[in-house]
Amino acid sequence: MIMQQVLNGLVIGGVYALTAMGAAMVYGILRILDLASAGAYAIGAYAGLFLYLATDNIVLSFTGAILLTGFFGTAVQKLLYIPMLNRPPIVPLIASIGLFIFIQDLLRLIAGPRIRVFNVQLPFSAWRTENLTVNPTWILIILLAAAFLALLWYILTRTRIGLAWRATAQDLEIAKAMGVNINKVVALNFFLGYSFAAAAGIMVGMLYSSVFPTMGDVPAYKMLALIVLGGLGSPVGTVIAALLIGLIETLVAGYIGFFLPRDAIAFVALIIILLIKPEGLISKKA
Amino acid sequence: MYELVVGINIGIFILLALSLNVITGYAGQPSMGHAAFFGIGAYTAAVMTAKLGLSFWLSLPVAGIAAGVVGVLLGLVSLRVRDDFLAVTTIGVNFVAVAIFHYTPYLGSSYGLEVNKPVLFGTELGNPEFFALIVVLIILVCLLCVKIQNSWLGLALSGIRNNEEAAASLGIDVSRFKIIAFTIGTAIAGSTGAVYAHYMGFIYSSDFAFITSISILSMIVIGGMGTIRGAITGAIILGLMPEIFRFISDYRMLLYGGLLVFMMRFQPEGLLGENSFVWRKLSPCLNKAAAMMGLSSQRRISGDGKH
Amino acid sequence: MTQKRMFTLLALFVTMALLVTGCGGTQSAQSDNKGPVKIGFFAPVTGPAAADGESVLNAAKLAVETINNDGGINGRKVELVNYDDALDSKQAVSIAQKLTTKDGVVAVVSGSYSGTTRASAKIYQDAKIPMISAYALHPDITKTGNYMFRQSFVGPVQGKAGAKVAVDMLNAKKISILQVDIDFGKTLAAGFTEKAQQLGAEIISVDSFSTGEKEFTPVLTKIKQLNPDLIYIPGYAAECSQIVRQAKELGITAKILGTEGADSTVQFLGVAKDAANGVIITTNMNRDSDRKLVQDFIKDYNQKYGYKPDMVAASTYDAFMVLANVMKTKGTEPDTIRQGLTEVKDYEAVTGLIKGYNQLGEVKKSVQVQIVKDAEFHYFGEISDDDIITPPSE
Repeated sequence: MIMQQVLNGLVIGGVYALTAMGAAMVYGILRILDLASAGAYAIGAYAGLFLYLATDNIVLSFTGAILLTGFFGTAVQKLLYIPMLNRPPIVPLIASIGLFIFIQDLLRLIAGPRIRVFNVQLPFSAWRTENLTVNPTWILIILLAAAFLALLWYILTRTRIGLAWRATAQDLEIAKAMGVNINKVVALNFFLGYSFAAAAGIMVGMLYSSVFPTMGDVPAYKMLALIVLGGLGSPVGTVIAALLIGLIETLVAGYIGFFLPRDAIAFVALIIILLIKPEGLISKKA
Repeated sequence: MYELVVGINIGIFILLALSLNVITGYAGQPSMGHAAFFGIGAYTAAVMTAKLGLSFWLSLPVAGIAAGVVGVLLGLVSLRVRDDFLAVTTIGVNFVAVAIFHYTPYLGSSYGLEVNKPVLFGTELGNPEFFALIVVLIILVCLLCVKIQNSWLGLALSGIRNNEEAAASLGIDVSRFKIIAFTIGTAIAGSTGAVYAHYMGFIYSSDFAFITSISILSMIVIGGMGTIRGAITGAIILGLMPEIFRFISDYRMLLYGGLLVFMMRFQPEGLLGENSFVWRKLSPCLNKAAAMMGLSSQRRISGDGKH
Repeated sequence: MTQKRMFTLLALFVTMALLVTGCGGTQSAQSDNKGPVKIGFFAPVTGPAAADGESVLNAAKLAVETINNDGGINGRKVELVNYDDALDSKQAVSIAQKLTTKDGVVAVVSGSYSGTTRASAKIYQDAKIPMISAYALHPDITKTGNYMFRQSFVGPVQGKAGAKVAVDMLNAKKISILQVDIDFGKTLAAGFTEKAQQLGAEIISVDSFSTGEKEFTPVLTKIKQLNPDLIYIPGYAAECSQIVRQAKELGITAKILGTEGADSTVQFLGVAKDAANGVIITTNMNRDSDRKLVQDFIKDYNQKYGYKPDMVAASTYDAFMVLANVMKTKGTEPDTIRQGLTEVKDYEAVTGLIKGYNQLGEVKKSVQVQIVKDAEFHYFGEISDDDIITPPSE
């Protein structure tokens, strides 16, 4: 049973990692707590679903949906966040909440309030022994999370734009003065961030075979907790925080039993850790 | 009667917006869990009258004190955890508070808590009485806010808001004033909770959920943060929105979200904030009108530090 | 300076007062016998419960259309006055004020959840406008007063019926309960536990989850170790569909018994697909009924809205039908409607034969047991034992 529970926890953590990564990247560079990433998560899931219904090809629709959401991200930063850079942080935060509410209700009006079934047959089936069950979607989620993180690591450490990105994350004004093309860096950042969120939305949609307008609610709050826990904007910290919260939630549900809803557990952990270590788990930026 | 109910709803939001304004507007501390304190007050008052049989009039200040005590704790946290960390911590406080309301059997857990209407001079308080009570409370809170603005406290708070380090170097006891701001703000929210619980006659954990905190914050941001007129205007606008747009109820949330985005993008000072477009146009007119009515038309010299 | 501030405040108050009072003209309560008969309705059409909100609003519209096509109330048309409460108690209260003081409705149907219905019940009671709660289960709703009625089974009734199904029909000895942590799950689980123990079964575990939960593998992994004969899941469709899917993935072989909360064609059957096969639920509508009334309702609803009706829709539809029937014979005054509702006896409704409403306003009718076969609900049994289906009267 412990093996199964640890695996359950890692899968949930992997989903959280994918979900929070987008917002963590955005925070890392612009210092904006972007709740609208959770909107991107829902947009990605709907785009993936509709493309899948139209093409019947999951690889194609997955790629199409994350690209689409990525471009949406670049549009959002250009039209909304860049003009607010010099405002106090509460301004973009409220704007992102507004955008999130707007997206959710737009999805409800377009696609209806009821759950849409997202049923994808994967080419491999569940693997089951006496004590351990491995669901094919779980493997996909873990692989995907790993692949996306590898991509991010590659961009950050091995490319010129990655260097510019890190410089911008250190200090936007200085990077600008040093001739870094801030617009390009921020655009790429949002493109990737929103693509990650979309990927997470699609994976979760497939995992639970359901896509619905308010699906971004829980990720929205949890994502905030995770990027703060992870040290605000540190990708590695976010992943560690995500896996940790996934494990804590699972083990609490499996062994101690239910005493608080999941969200509250995550936030209790958050408050305790912040009080001990006010800069989050990992305080150095990537 | 319907107008009265809408008025009471808005009045409650005005009190909440004014109280959050002390924390976020004056002291510049982001709080995204204000509904938690509203809820702590509501549950405290409900327990006092429904479970312990005490008087509503006693529960009113006690609810404020209870919320204020928790507010002091949050104030202490705010000394250690700052800015975005603080914002997310307050969200956490909201979630944890709602979970406690929802899972404590003594507080009715998921059945909610029934509260009897308070009695004054032998008659049950009806909606007109509640409206009057709320108007009185609003006036008292406004007077308190004016007093804060014009006092040392207000000056110190605006110093903290503008630059905490600089304020500290000028000898302002940042910790003390932050805690005072949190205490005042949360205590007002707590007393408002007492009024809410007794006016509704029934409270439920989700009445105090995160979305309510967002509404309160949106009110002061849309109205104009750091000003009394802004908090009141914001509460009136967002409080009326669901009622006015009931005929297109399907699009209300869309409109609400859109309004937030639009305001933040083009008028982040809020409608009636210090530098907002509307206030720049309106302010001279109001001064003129005030002069014509024989009121003093002194220029404003409040302790904002910006002017 | 202070004076000027106060002046500004004053100006704002005046503006507010003007706005509030200028909101619309008052319409006096209906007393003439010529215009349409107005029935009020509120449901969470937006917000987190929008799926149920849409379902019940559709049902309400269909009911009113059916009533009017059948000649209305002795020739008078029925008009639906519907509002969206967005699952917010404050809005539910202002809607209640609007319905009772401005819109001149003679009766109200709540298509909303417990919190909103409970918060507004007292206003309808004080205004002496009868309200039927279509599916909100909070025990206090009917206790608010004699104008309050309920169209769905109160928690203990359905819980006890579930226990009879589990122990007597499915021979379960060891039972695990997985309940949603709100009044719905708790009242059903309490009734279930009481009756199941009385019938000789053992409850070996009780776990809770919150609405919106999607991941049940941790708790199901734990339940699997306990190896129960049956898992009872008083919860809603979105969560129950995940429970049955994940239970199947984990290779859990225990029987699964759901409730009316899982009675949703789209959100339960659609999402759970094959995993739902063999799942049994207690609910209020028998899909295999040979009564024309039921088949017409299912057909009309499906034709009009593109999906088959669920339990909340059926309950809402019936609430309107009962009201119309009472108004036809007793008149359209709120008082006579209330009186008429207390006198309802053996009324044929979509959700079965309504034996009547007791002094508390709780409905008495048989509990339907349905089994899922090939992504459809089918007849499995009916619980009509008097000691189970008689609702508590205080």
